[in-house]
This record gives sequence, C-alpha cells and structure tokens, in this order.
Amino acid sequence: MKSNSRRKFMKTLGTSLGVAGVVGGSSILSSCNNVESVSGDKIQLLTSSGELVEVDKSMLKPADLPSLSENQKKGREGIPGKSWVMVIDLSKCRNARKCMSACQNHHQLRPEQHHINVLQMQDAEHTAPYYMPKPCQHCDNPPCTKVCPVNATFKREDGIVLIDNERCIGCRFCIAACPYSARVFNWFEPKDADKYKGVTYNIEANVPQKKGTVSKCLFSADRLRDGKLPSCVSACPNGVYWFGDRNEDAVTNGTTQETTTFSTLIKDNAAYTLMEELGTKPRVYYLPPKDRAFPFEGEIDDHHS
Amino acid sequence: MNNKINLLIAVILFISASQIRGQEWIAPADKASVSNPSEYNLANVKKGKEIYQKNCKSCHGDAGKYNALPLVPVPPDVASEIMHSNTEGGLFHKITAGKGGMPQFETTLSEDDRWRLVNYIMNYNPNVEPVLVEAPPVKAKIMASVNEVNKQVEVFAEFDNNGTFEKLADAEVIVSAKKTFGNLVIGKALTDENGRALFTIPESHIGDEEGYVKLVVALGEGYEVAALDLKSAKVGKLKEIPKLIKGGEILWSTNENIQPWLLFSYLGAVGGAWLAIGYIIFLIFRIRKYSKL
Repeated sequence: MKSNSRRKFMKTLGTSLGVAGVVGGSSILSSCNNVESVSGDKIQLLTSSGELVEVDKSMLKPADLPSLSENQKKGREGIPGKSWVMVIDLSKCRNARKCMSACQNHHQLRPEQHHINVLQMQDAEHTAPYYMPKPCQHCDNPPCTKVCPVNATFKREDGIVLIDNERCIGCRFCIAACPYSARVFNWFEPKDADKYKGVTYNIEANVPQKKGTVSKCLFSADRLRDGKLPSCVSACPNGVYWFGDRNEDAVTNGTTQETTTFSTLIKDNAAYTLMEELGTKPRVYYLPPKDRAFPFEGEIDDHHS
Repeated sequence: MNNKINLLIAVILFISASQIRGQEWIAPADKASVSNPSEYNLANVKKGKEIYQKNCKSCHGDAGKYNALPLVPVPPDVASEIMHSNTEGGLFHKITAGKGGMPQFETTLSEDDRWRLVNYIMNYNPNVEPVLVEAPPVKAKIMASVNEVNKQVEVFAEFDNNGTFEKLADAEVIVSAKKTFGNLVIGKALTDENGRALFTIPESHIGDEEGYVKLVVALGEGYEVAALDLKSAKVGKLKEIPKLIKGGEILWSTNENIQPWLLFSYLGAVGGAWLAIGYIIFLIFRIRKYSKL
C-alpha cells in the first residue's frame, strides 16, 4: 500500500508539473504576442536622438516587419514574358576588355572582382588559342540556388539567376556549387564604400555591394527593366555579344544594333554551351572561334606537353 | 659608363623614332607595285561595295560621309586623301595583312574579293573615272496597311518628281518587326509599276502573347524617307512563355519554399516517433496492471 501511494504521488507530481509547464509556456508565449494587455507597467526606451524616455507598456505594439521589401519582391518576380539569352561570338573577341570595365563600373566592383572575365583558352595541344568572355551562364537548372540555406539566391521566371545581398549570410555554398566559377565574394570593403553609404540597395544591380556577401553577374537586370542592353553587351567595340528574348526568338548585337533570329544564329554557326554534360542548361551560347580576323596576342602556358 | 648611357639613349631614341614612323603605315615597295588583276568595271565595283558593306563599313563608315568609328587612329574614309595616297597594290597588301586595329582579311576574304574591294575604293579616287555613281537620295513617301486575315502588308511608295509625287516602281521595300532591343528584318519586296508591293508575313514569325506584331516599313537604299511605324497587328504566331521554375527544384530553405513531400515525411517521422514512445508507455502501464493480478 505504501509503495502504491508513492507511485500515486509521483504520478500526480508528474501530471501537475506537465500541466504547469504547458500553462506557463503558453502564458509566456501569449505575453510576447499581446503586450497591450499588460498595462500600468513603465518601460525605458532610448530614442533616436539619444534620450532615455519612459513609456507605458500599453503604448508598445509588436512590430510587423515584412520579410521582403518592395524592391526585393520586384527583383524576385522578374520581367514578365521575357526569357533572356546571350550569344557570345568567339570569332570576334580580341580581348578589348571593355565589357569587363563597363561591368565593374556598373556593379561597383573592385578591380580583382569579375562578374564577367575574358579568359585565354586553348582546347588542345595543336589548336589555336582564343579569347573567351565568361559571364554567369544563368543556368535553367542552376546548382547554386539549390544550396543556399537562406533563399538569398534564386532563379527568376525571366531566366536570370539573382542574389539578394540583404539576405546573403556569406556562407559561400553557392560559390562552391557553381561549376563555372561565376560568383565573387566581397572579402574586403567594396569599391567606393564611403561614397555609396546609405544608398538604397538595388537588388537588380547588386549595388551598393556589401562586405561579407556574394556578388554575381545578373545580366544588368536594372538596365533590362529600362529597355537597355546589359552593360557588357553595349560596351563591346567588336560586336561579340548578341542579347535578346528567347521567347520572341530575336537577339540584338550590342555593337552594330543589328537584330537577328536567335534560333538561326545558333544553328547556322554550330553554337555550343559550356559544360552541358553537367545538365545545368546554360543560357549563354558560344559561337565557335572560327575565322578570327585578329591575331592572338596573349600568353598560353604549355599545359599540354 | 657614359658611353653606355649614351648608347642606351640612342637605342631608346631609335626605337621611339621607328614607332613614330610606324604610325604612318606604308606598304613595302614590292607589294605596292603589284597591279590589280581584277578588271575595273561596274560588276566588280558593285561586288566590292557588297563586300565593303559587310566587312568594312562597321569601322570605316559610308564612303564619302566621313562617319567612321572614333577609334585611334581613326579608320580613313574610302573617299579620303589618306586612302588614295596608296597604290592599288598597297591597298591590297593592307587589307590582306592588317595592322594594329585594322584586322587581316587574308583568311576571311578570298584574293578575288580583296581585289574587288580595291576596285570599289578606286571608284572614289579623284584621278579615276567613277563607274558606280550614286545618285543623291530621292525624296519618297510610303503608305502601308496590314491585312490581319491574309497576314499581308500592302505598301504604296511614291517619289518626289520636282514637287509632284509619282508612283515609285522597282523600289526595295524592307519589312521589319519591333523586338525588345531592335528591329528584326522579316523580309523584302519590290514595288510593281503602280508603286505597290505586297509582302506576306511568314507563318513562323512570333508576335507577343496574343500574336500582335509591331511592323516597321522602310525603303531600300537611295531614298530619303523615314521608316513607317505601323500599329501593332495580329499577324504573328502566339508567343509561348514556358514556365522555367519547377516547384520541386527549390531547396526547402524558407517557409515560402516548403515542399509538401518533405513536410509530410518530416511530420510523419516525428509523429511516428511520438507514437512509438506513447506505445511503450502504454505497455509499461499494462505491465503494472498485470503485476497487480
């Protein structure tokens, strides 16, 4: 009988503790949500001008902060009905690097940071070297967006892969996931950080850049919204870039302003995409470096022998 | 020591002097003296013009208009003095070999074509009788209407004959469509003796989501007329907008990207664990119940 009563005691104790826990927990939770209900209590607050003021607790209301600002929402939706593509004619590129400087100016990048980079290529031992501009490939099946733990980088319906520097926590998983090395990290204070202090962040241009976050090519999404070609496309003096909407099957050359049919351009010139075996489905097409009018003036290390 | 410095200065002076001289591009004498094997006639000059428009115009601009690209050094105009200070062989050599900003055309244009290009340049030489004389542009007027049923554009062209507008026959009409960043040429048609041209828009042409196309009609070379912007007409194929993003391809990193299968399997696993614990507790109670017996 004695042991039985002890058991009974333990049982009631356990039950009452559990009930108390639930009641206590829910009351703490409800007190967080309803500050208004508690009145009479005073609380000290620091104003923006640096003064300490005492206000009644009933004056306080829980803040309702939207998780995304209007600008960020707009940047996530993309431009309706469009599907941007870029065609890079390797036979025209002569390493003028005007695309790179235009891009760095537009996106406030340091000289060592590249959203687009002109590479010196040689595919095999006896083949001719050539120059290859390499922006983000804006894959239709992007590996980078899928590893982001905070949903900072994403793909829009118009095909652009963007990054939101306000959400980015700088973990650099996306840099590791990208097979094209298209992303850069702001290791240091960005270029002209003082000049752009307090400027509203523009998600469609990644400006102003933020230290400790990732930045990448975004096809100059802010310029596209204004009906202009991306910075690199407009800056090229040699007619390397074609840019346009795949849905309407037309691309425009940034130098000559000539417009042509996208599907014929890539078919007639046997265009290819980079590392298509990875299944990333890039939307940057390359026309082979055939019939180059300019001699190669770079240096290629002899990796092949 | 002094001698060495003097020598160094002399070498530097020599190099810089040769570079200054290098800015003035002179073809080697043996190349400059080569004579043109291609005959200087209208056919060759016309062909040369075609090649020029395709390969050279983007930098050198239109002949006689001095509208070359502002490069350093500026590409000389076809009608300029600098251009005609060269012999025919010299021009051929420069087109073939290229230098600095001027690309080589040895691998991209055939030898015949390069000589035809020289013929075209010689057409603007002050000492040579021109064979291809371009008349000043004629003032013209165009009217156009679109038939949405037949998907046809009907164009009427007139030209200014000393104050009176008359029907323009045998003129090239260029029909293009407005795209996001520029006008895409759809096709060309010739006007008949009534100044009328009929152009059928190809079935494969893509319009907007509802099939509307903004057409632009212009006249070919030799006429002074502003391109005519037509109202958007329903003559194109419907633009398809494929959905790019599939739900399952996004990582479940935030609440907005929640994926039902992941959510249910997670809740199922957690719920299952609680059920198992509950069952064990239930069994413990049953053991106690049996122990009373």
